[in-house]
Amino acid sequence: MVLLDHIASGLIFSSIIVLGSIGLSLVYSIADFANFAHGDTMTVGAYTSFVAFGAVGGLGGAVLGLPLGFFVALLAGIVAAAVVAVVTERIVYDGLDVDSIGMLITSIGIAFVYRAVVQMWFGADPVRYDIQALRPIEWLLPYGVRVTEHDVAIVVSAAVLVTGLHVLLQYSDLGRKMRAMADNPELARVSGIRTDRIKLWTWVIGAGLAGSGGVFLGLFNLLTPRMGFDLLLLIFAAVILGGIGSVYGAMAGALLIGMIHELTPLLSQLGRVLPFVPESFGLPIGNQYGAAIAFVIMVVVLLFRPQGIAGEAV
Amino acid sequence: MDDIDRRTLLKLTGGVGLAGLAGCVSTTDEDDGGGNDGGDGTDGSDGGDGGDGGDGTDGGDDTPTETPGGGDGGSGPYEIGMVDSLTGSLSAFGERNQRGVELALETVNDVGVEGRDLDIVVEDSESESQGGVSAAQKLVNQDGVPFLIGSVGSGVSLAIYESVVQETDVVQLSQNSTGLGLTDFPGLLRMSPTGRTQSVALSNIIADDGYDTVAVTYVNNNYGQSLADAFVEAWDGDVAYNQPHDQDQQSYSGVVSEMNSSEADAWLFVTYQAEFATIVNEIFSSGYEAQLYGADSVSGSDVLENTPEGSMDGMKIVVPSAPVEEDNYQQFATRFEDAFDESPTSWSAYAYDCVITAALSIQAAEEFTGAALQETVRDVTRPEGEQVDSYEAAHEILADGGGVDDVDYQGVSGPIDFDENGDPVGFLQIQTVEDHEYVGTGFIES
Repeated sequence: MVLLDHIASGLIFSSIIVLGSIGLSLVYSIADFANFAHGDTMTVGAYTSFVAFGAVGGLGGAVLGLPLGFFVALLAGIVAAAVVAVVTERIVYDGLDVDSIGMLITSIGIAFVYRAVVQMWFGADPVRYDIQALRPIEWLLPYGVRVTEHDVAIVVSAAVLVTGLHVLLQYSDLGRKMRAMADNPELARVSGIRTDRIKLWTWVIGAGLAGSGGVFLGLFNLLTPRMGFDLLLLIFAAVILGGIGSVYGAMAGALLIGMIHELTPLLSQLGRVLPFVPESFGLPIGNQYGAAIAFVIMVVVLLFRPQGIAGEAV
Repeated sequence: MDDIDRRTLLKLTGGVGLAGLAGCVSTTDEDDGGGNDGGDGTDGSDGGDGGDGGDGTDGGDDTPTETPGGGDGGSGPYEIGMVDSLTGSLSAFGERNQRGVELALETVNDVGVEGRDLDIVVEDSESESQGGVSAAQKLVNQDGVPFLIGSVGSGVSLAIYESVVQETDVVQLSQNSTGLGLTDFPGLLRMSPTGRTQSVALSNIIADDGYDTVAVTYVNNNYGQSLADAFVEAWDGDVAYNQPHDQDQQSYSGVVSEMNSSEADAWLFVTYQAEFATIVNEIFSSGYEAQLYGADSVSGSDVLENTPEGSMDGMKIVVPSAPVEEDNYQQFATRFEDAFDESPTSWSAYAYDCVITAALSIQAAEEFTGAALQETVRDVTRPEGEQVDSYEAAHEILADGGGVDDVDYQGVSGPIDFDENGDPVGFLQIQTVEDHEYVGTGFIES
């Protein structure tokens, strides 16, 4: 019973991390640097949709407890995150002639700028989408699972977006070019692919997904200027665990990291979950160590599989 | 090339992770120092500071210390410093503080301090110890302020005291820290009463409500741990759950579900507004039913605005309160409402009184140095002397040649009256959430 509930919250949390980690991995594979501004790109998406939702309102109708206006706002958040990322890429990253470490440090600076702008605009206090908060879904309660329709919406939307990306990567011309470029940029260029344009699309898709992740993070929790940055370390853990540069690895890594993070409370109540041990048995590890445990598991996996779950052999 | 990048990236990311972990470790150490008695042993050298406190009370003997060239011969404003939480998780407090400070400066500069103005240099602590210490270093070492108001978070105030102020003559007066550990540092003054009064009051209230089992969670820092420890000490019943949670997490569902598994019906929270708002949302969306209790830091408009209507009804909170029936508080409240279109909280009143106390101690001191202010800062608010409830009246007594023992300033936040540990006398109000609003339902004195 307890286990099911924790798995459910793990799935919800993972969905948000998946949306964040795909973009990070995509940008790494094509632009070739670790973008520390990615978390704050999520924040930008979340706050944009906050403003957009305030402007368009509910628009009547509702899907999974979410008014239709929220989906319009979601779209606005995705577009804004993509636009901000592309503009940053054009103005800053593209013109920089430094190695990947220089780019990484630059992106940390960009992250501060995004966050500062958000905070100047909205203040440091948390805000919340003006959406009726929901109680848990009744018919799931007997199974000990306490999730709301909003949580279901987060998981379903993430699944739709991820499937869409999969179709795009595998079956579209753009996807083939993106994969070609991730594999070998030089070869892609000489074989006639316009790598600049592909790079641009990569930023659009990566940042757009991050924006959607930010919107759902805001729905899951509250909106604060630090929301994306606070999640970024876990997203990095997911991407590295999955094999950096691999989109499918990032998904797997995100699922694993999110699950571990949310299953940590079980450690102190193992007796309730495991058979053949006393009810009161538990490891003295509180849930505040969730992030630490996620990182320990990341390190352990990397010790045995340095390229990550889905990464190519080094 | 690609391989090198990947490896370097792993190293860097690992480094960031380590830095995060290191942060956790140092926070825990600090908690121990402040919260447990064990910390006192290592702080034995502070006995000297206790002596300084004694000197403060002897200030009435009036042995003038004539240090030539005090550097205050000019006619420009007296400059003091303030470290405040302008950003970070305590920024709501910071904003209220700044409003109190603004009003206080207006009050002081209407009358003047020895014919000069008072000026406050405000630096941001980012609500973190590190930010607070560098802000204080800038104020004390670069600006050379002899009087430092700071800070909000107890861990931050203590870090500032231990790494910047302790070895100097600078007066540090915390505006909002309620952590219990600060009592062990007599040299560190504060305007808000110690949290121990809150813990004791909460244990009495919960017991009076008929609960014998309680689940407690607290924010993983000095403030949270010391209040939770004091609560457990005061509580006679069972504690079914007692765990910390970290700040700024994106999910607290683990904490909430563990509290539910503990099967206690009374849940006590010692945390901050942003964290508590998240927790309340998770309690609501998980459909848990429990009687909620909280320390003062979990109440505020951030929580009300960001939680569903009715999700906290019946919750009880104890809040250090200003003496709201007194005239001077009501005048302060009226001015505050005129200026900012909302009622003041006691946090603004504490910051207000910090500034007034600073101004009075400067007026009463022989010269504008830390050593001289140490002699006066405690006594201008203590009994013996005429009770006055405005800066103007207190200023008049001092300007007419009165000494520190001739004036007993009664603040808008309470009588102040610093004790030998640098703690003020305090009032607490019990607030109950009714129809998603905080309603005062009684007072407790300490």
